[in-house]
Amino acid sequence: MLTLREVNSFYGRSHALHGVTMDIADRSITAILGRNGVGKTTLLKSIIGLMDRVAGRIMLQGKDITILPAFRRARLGIAYVPQGRDIIPDFSIRENILMGAFARTDGKRAIPDLIAQLFPYLTQNLDRPGGVLSGGQQQQLAIARALAAEPKLLLLDEPTEGIQPNIVEEIQTLILRLNQEVGITIILVEQNVAFARRAAGAFVMMEKGRVVVAEKIAGLTDDIVHRHMAV
Amino acid sequence: MFDVIFIGLSLGSILLLVALGLAITYGAMGVINMAHGEMVMVGAYTTVMGGLWLHIGFLASLPLAFVITGLLGWAIERIVVRRLYGRLLDTLLATWGVAILLQQAVRLEFGLSFFGIHIRGLGPGLQNVKVPAWMTGVVSIGGDQVNIYRLFIILVTAALTFVTWLLMFRSDIGIQVRAITRNPRMAAACGIDVQRINALTFAYGSGLAGVAGVMMSGFKTVFPDMGSAMVVDGFMVVVVGGVGSLLGSVLSAGLLGQVNGGVAAVTNDILARAVVFGLVILIIIIKPTGLFSFKGR
Repeated sequence: MLTLREVNSFYGRSHALHGVTMDIADRSITAILGRNGVGKTTLLKSIIGLMDRVAGRIMLQGKDITILPAFRRARLGIAYVPQGRDIIPDFSIRENILMGAFARTDGKRAIPDLIAQLFPYLTQNLDRPGGVLSGGQQQQLAIARALAAEPKLLLLDEPTEGIQPNIVEEIQTLILRLNQEVGITIILVEQNVAFARRAAGAFVMMEKGRVVVAEKIAGLTDDIVHRHMAV
Repeated sequence: MFDVIFIGLSLGSILLLVALGLAITYGAMGVINMAHGEMVMVGAYTTVMGGLWLHIGFLASLPLAFVITGLLGWAIERIVVRRLYGRLLDTLLATWGVAILLQQAVRLEFGLSFFGIHIRGLGPGLQNVKVPAWMTGVVSIGGDQVNIYRLFIILVTAALTFVTWLLMFRSDIGIQVRAITRNPRMAAACGIDVQRINALTFAYGSGLAGVAGVMMSGFKTVFPDMGSAMVVDGFMVVVVGGVGSLLGSVLSAGLLGQVNGGVAAVTNDILARAVVFGLVILIIIIKPTGLFSFKGR
């Protein structure tokens, strides 16, 4: 589905990713783990194309996308749900969702049925501004926006961070359904090791902008977690 | 009294057409376009040249100027502004350079005057535009005599403001422009072609300024520097109205136009300008974000 070969990434002059190589299988969930500031978000930004400069090779389904701008990558089927969600507070819920639909290649500007099924609350309140939603609802909105493009690959950056506990479980179930029922490949940046073990088929452990371990999820031992994630 | 309000309204209309373009480019794209006033100038010269060389009338100059200044704005975005996004002061200097270039191109007749070749309608001198005879008269509205030309300016501005509102709030292009205003990176990640939309926005804003130029040419003399003052006025409107707010620009153009017209009616133009500047300074001191600013991130 997605392969990275010796990817180096830069914010201005600062070198954020060092020689990252990984393979993401089709219809898999891959958890990206590591402490804060080790380059997990940078990795997602490098995949969607929001870095200042990227060297190396990024291939999506055999097509080299390394030099494509972000909007082209989005139109090839990559959707991004950033940390902090970045929904637009003074846009209505409808406008926030439809913003994602600009990545569609068929030019349709409608909210897919899937979104109505998954987020009844959002589709019943389409005219309310996005800014009045709770943190958990905003996260759902950001996911709905990503789904509006009917993507093949979904990049989720700490989707349960800072969200009330009852919604955390809802979002976790949603992530599993999107993968199993809709067949979307997911790359998930996550601090919650228990959820990563439950959901993911593979994991990538990062440290200082490098990949230190990349394996099937069964290989995620307590020792590895302790060594690379304990604060 | 009605007279004064009416004149203020027509002054405000021209201001608004100039400011709308700036409100979009400054508000949406974070570019200080000092060459915006030159779009007014080019619009005015389009009317002059169109009349002299193509024998098209004043009305036909409106769409022609929109297209010409729109294309010019598009070219400026592609060649200069595109390389400077996120560098506010650099855009100011670079577009100022473009402004000077455009002024000199008109003054020196694209450099041909060095070779003794002169193009009728260009050059450093003053030019005049004849408006159609039917526009110079007056009509009576509710017992008050109003100048048809001023009425025409107000109507065209109202129509274009409505079109702009439709474009910004009821069209696919508009939602993309507004998304870029709020969060350009997220907009790109959502599949919005930020560069293309920015170029279109820039072209549209420039086109509006061109139309303003045509209408100004009907009651003011046309000369190469005429745009310099307009860009200042335009930015005053945008800043007073609140950066990024269309409604703010509309109301602030109305306000400044009325103050200008009102003070000028009882004293003179020079004092009116001083009062407008004073008012702008006062407003910015009291409300630095302008009268109507959306909550930024």
